[in-house]
Amino acid sequence: MKLRQLFTLEGVNLELKAETKDDILKELIQLLDLDDKSETILFKTLKRRENLGSTGIGKGIAIPHCRSLVVNRLRLAYGRKPEGADFNSIDGEPVHNFFLIVAPPLEVSNQYLPVLGKIAQFAKDPDIPTHLQDISTPQEFLDLLEEKAP
Amino acid sequence: MSGPSDTRGMDPQLMLLLELQDLRAQRKELAESEVAERMQEEHFHIDPADARSHLDEKITEIEQELHPRIRARYAQIVPMRDRVVVPVINGVCYGCFVSIPTATAGDRDSPAGVQSCEHCGCFIYILN
Ligand SMILES: [Zn+2]
Repeated sequence: MKLRQLFTLEGVNLELKAETKDDILKELIQLLDLDDKSETILFKTLKRRENLGSTGIGKGIAIPHCRSLVVNRLRLAYGRKPEGADFNSIDGEPVHNFFLIVAPPLEVSNQYLPVLGKIAQFAKDPDIPTHLQDISTPQEFLDLLEEKAP
Repeated sequence: MSGPSDTRGMDPQLMLLLELQDLRAQRKELAESEVAERMQEEHFHIDPADARSHLDEKITEIEQELHPRIRARYAQIVPMRDRVVVPVINGVCYGCFVSIPTATAGDRDSPAGVQSCEHCGCFIYILN
């Protein structure tokens, strides 16, 4: 499964408005277009994962992720905050790029962990932060995935 | 936005069960999947053993907040099933994959409180 196929244009926001970690999680969740109650539950679950340790993996990238029964298939979203935000990242630096991954508790295709690994790998490519900074439309984000995460 | 901080209309006990459900899923993955364990260690610098004990504490804490009747029911389901709360999607219970009567499934906004599948006994959460 290619990463490109798991993202949609609606699931990409290149100008996140939120300033705090909690609000950024909420804004990312909204990209999945769930009902209010599902959003609440998902937020709690993501927070719980963050309490174990930040998903900010350094180099300006965070990958908040969890399994939750509010989704019935693997869902991904991408948010960018050009000026960066504090996310208690591993390297203490502000985060500019947020990849949200949510999987149902049980998946037939078992894509969650491989996809999480692929995103982490993609994010570790030293050129990626610059590329992400340069994109100006959601379509360009999808094109970047197509090119860099085949 | 009302958004992710809106818990109006949601039964607080169901909310706790859902939290427990997700915590248990995280706990299980960290205990049973080497891939998950390695990934959390390598990419996110999480110590799996620490994470498991943190989750265990959290689970015990929330279990104490359950209403005694619901806790008793929960304690019955846990040893038998991976999941305590299951979604109902299009009228089908995802615990037993049996189509359940709408009367049981009910309206997710109803004040009826925590509902369960009369077929498999799991607590249910109705997903749109
Ligand atoms: Zn059932």
